[in-house]
Amino acid sequence: MREVDRRVRWAGLGACLLVLATFAQLNYIQVFHASALNNNPLNSRSVLENYALPRGAIISADGATLAQSIPSNDQYKYQRTYPEGALFGQVTGYDSLIYGTDGLEREYNSLLTTTSGQGFPKSFAGLERLFTTQPEPDNLHITVLARLQQLARQQLAGRYGAVVAVSPSTGAVLAMYSNPSYNPTPLASHNVAVEEKAWKALNDNPGRPLLAATYRQRFFPGSVFKVITAAAVYTFKPALANKDFPTTSGFVLPGTAGQVLHNFAGEACGGEMLELFTVSCDTGFGQLGLLVGGQDLAREAKSFGWDQPVPLDMPGTAESYFPPPSSFFRNAGALAKSAIGQESVQAVPLVMALDAAAVANKGVIMTPHLMSYVTNGQGQVVERYKPHPWLHATSAATAAKLTALMESVVNSPNGTGVAAQVPGIEVAGKTGTAQTGGPDIETWFVAFAPAQDPKIAVCVLVENQPPADEYQGGTIAAPIAKALIEAYLGVGRG
Amino acid sequence: MMARLHPAAVGADASPAPQRASQAHGPGAPYPRRRAELGMVVLAFSLVNALYLLAGFGAKGSLPKDSPIFAAATAVLMLLGHLVVRKFAPGANPALLPLAALLNGMGYVFISHLDHTEAMDQAIWAVVGLACFTATLALFPRAMDFERYRYSIALAGIILLLLPLAPHIGEDINGARLWAHVGPVSFQPEEFAKIALAIFFASVLAERADLLSTGTRRVGRWLVLDPRYLAPLLAAWGLALLILLAENDLGSSFLFFTLLVMLLWVATGKMAYLGLGAALFGGAAVFALEVVHHAVTRVQAWLHPWAHFSTSGYQIIEGWFALAAGGMWGLGPGQGNPQVVPEASTDFIFASIGEQVGLVGLTALLVVYLLMMASGLQAAVRSQRYFNKLLAAGLSLLLGVQVFVVAGGITRLIPVTGITLPFVSYGGSSLVSNYVLLAILLRISDDTSFEQAPAEPAALEAQLVASGEPRAKASSLTRSLVP
Repeated sequence: MREVDRRVRWAGLGACLLVLATFAQLNYIQVFHASALNNNPLNSRSVLENYALPRGAIISADGATLAQSIPSNDQYKYQRTYPEGALFGQVTGYDSLIYGTDGLEREYNSLLTTTSGQGFPKSFAGLERLFTTQPEPDNLHITVLARLQQLARQQLAGRYGAVVAVSPSTGAVLAMYSNPSYNPTPLASHNVAVEEKAWKALNDNPGRPLLAATYRQRFFPGSVFKVITAAAVYTFKPALANKDFPTTSGFVLPGTAGQVLHNFAGEACGGEMLELFTVSCDTGFGQLGLLVGGQDLAREAKSFGWDQPVPLDMPGTAESYFPPPSSFFRNAGALAKSAIGQESVQAVPLVMALDAAAVANKGVIMTPHLMSYVTNGQGQVVERYKPHPWLHATSAATAAKLTALMESVVNSPNGTGVAAQVPGIEVAGKTGTAQTGGPDIETWFVAFAPAQDPKIAVCVLVENQPPADEYQGGTIAAPIAKALIEAYLGVGRG
Repeated sequence: MMARLHPAAVGADASPAPQRASQAHGPGAPYPRRRAELGMVVLAFSLVNALYLLAGFGAKGSLPKDSPIFAAATAVLMLLGHLVVRKFAPGANPALLPLAALLNGMGYVFISHLDHTEAMDQAIWAVVGLACFTATLALFPRAMDFERYRYSIALAGIILLLLPLAPHIGEDINGARLWAHVGPVSFQPEEFAKIALAIFFASVLAERADLLSTGTRRVGRWLVLDPRYLAPLLAAWGLALLILLAENDLGSSFLFFTLLVMLLWVATGKMAYLGLGAALFGGAAVFALEVVHHAVTRVQAWLHPWAHFSTSGYQIIEGWFALAAGGMWGLGPGQGNPQVVPEASTDFIFASIGEQVGLVGLTALLVVYLLMMASGLQAAVRSQRYFNKLLAAGLSLLLGVQVFVVAGGITRLIPVTGITLPFVSYGGSSLVSNYVLLAILLRISDDTSFEQAPAEPAALEAQLVASGEPRAKASSLTRSLVP
């Protein structure tokens, strides 16, 4: 029996040694090798730590909650939700486990995840969690109005297109909606299958909802580009503004084998700048472009924010495109067509809205922005956006002359933009109707109001309209701009 | 036995009369041992409830609202356990029950922060476990009662072992065929089979150890084991192979085989059994690597986890990330992201705990297991009956080796085998069977308090051969005389 007892003790000692071996190995893993493991790129724990904290809310200028974190009973502790769904999907973007972030969620990621307030040192973060009731992140308040977004969606009525409205004096974006939009909620799902399905559907959608038409895509601008051509005339060849062009329905492009530039629907037009602009005369502006020259036209486009990144506080903004002057060498046809926004000229709706805002704001383009102010968990404002200029597009004098031209578009009986008239308010605008190379056309309207004290500048684009006489920017896009102006200024139906 | 509750009995130690204390005076008369146990149960209750509050605070930043309910439930269960031991095993080791209560309670807290529904299940299983614990102690008033029913128990063990292989009853989960469905109940029969076979082997070895240890034969210049005496070893090996090949369960197979080989060695003192056992198991393992896909991936993950991060190595590396995140002191109970590790509440709960309480907490956990094993081994050493000794040693070592297989798997000392951490992991079969194991250890420990030291080995033999019946009656008579 004693022998057996001795062996029992030996076996016990053996088991103790095995446990001691795991203890030694634990020392290696948890202490000596720990920092290497913590910093290993395969280690996803830092990502999860971010998800374990609530993320700040995104709130519209009129108080609608656009994105918020609500407690969830799963491993990620908080669920991101987007109560307005697709209405603000392209503005807020998403915060996805698999696909990362986009939109404001990406641009203001660090702001939404940090807490301003009593600062515990990083190493005591665990203690802070123990002793404070709940870490409350900062909230982002943006300049966009939910009621203008809703109006834009309602006015587009399911048609592909984009609506951008900005405040000319501050650069604040008041509305930025385009069809098709998307609901970010499934992308923020904690269910991988739901996320993957939503992601696939978005990428298979021919309307490319992830590429917001408002600021990530460019379109043929057509006649709305004449605002810039007119500005180039006033800036570089002011005498041309008073040149009287003979009335014609088409003219032979110089340097071509008899290629003729026709007016829209074969109409005949002519006269001085005011008349040409009011009726959107292609033949007149084609000739003006030739007389101004490619060099100066490109320079004017550049000063209006083309061919350069737009400093909007959003990731992935597209640039508007005006061809380089060298491309017009021995190609007068291309120059004449570019002067009326055709050929390879392409505009981002946001930039067209900023160009209208430049005319409205005495030639100065304010930096476009979505962030308005930031509040902490207690509701105190901790940061406020300060407006500052982006570009000096043109002189105040030129801007005043352009305003007169644009008012004429809306107010003259023969103006193309009469549909944008608002009783009691002077509206300045310009229509555009662009061929796309396909069967359909794109209709544009840029505007600002009130003309002498501008509060809002709008760009409306409606895509894929069948080419018929009445489908001009003036009949399709202008009423939408009118509705936004009325709603924002609180007149008419609004 | 009601008399124990009498205030006068407080001085039982010193009082002149108690017959039993004078007869078999262990290192503590029955009553003070139970008082010590009550003290430790209160300590375990305090630790578990403190952990519950801290973990709730860590996870939500506020005290959990249901903490009074949790406190009441743990108090009732722990006190019930204590009263059961008081009634049915008054002379047993006072540390075993509090240690088990501590492990079960702490395990529950960690599980409740991983998965709420699993925690509810675990609470129910703890109640069932306590019921089985009570039943085992009540139905087997003496350890020799296990021995009496050894063939029934062995048969039950083998049926349990084969149950997952039966069509319609067994089911494959994660590549291993471990589950049995009987009516509405699903369970892992091998958890119970382990105990049944330990009982059977202890009883066989208690009878035959002398024969087995002398059964050598001279072949040329060497003394070798008589092939006849290899039978038990080969039987054990066959069982282990069956589990390994038919059920794909490397961990349980290893546990079984280790248990039986260790018992053989403890009983006979033949090192040859250890060497031969290692060789046989090694051979079987190598063979399994050629045949069993499940085992191949496990070994791959063990040797080259980083190369298989996206597949078989994922679990072990996430386990390491969890342990490293915990570091020396841990992130704090209820904090961190233990749920990232697959099987965080069962096979890998060791890593989940390590993330929250760090190296310091895990060391404490290992010490709790060592104390439990040591208490069981103490009962083995104190037992005068051979069967009791072997069974207590076997079950205690089983506990220690199982902790090593789990912790060693997670720390990559050995391949991950997917078995549970006793009393801590989520899982009904594991928890209930460990409560039964605990009851057996307590029963053996209780027996030591009134066993007489045998004068001669021959006397022991005589006892072994004699039927347990009269002795059992005698003992219950003795008991009723105890004040």
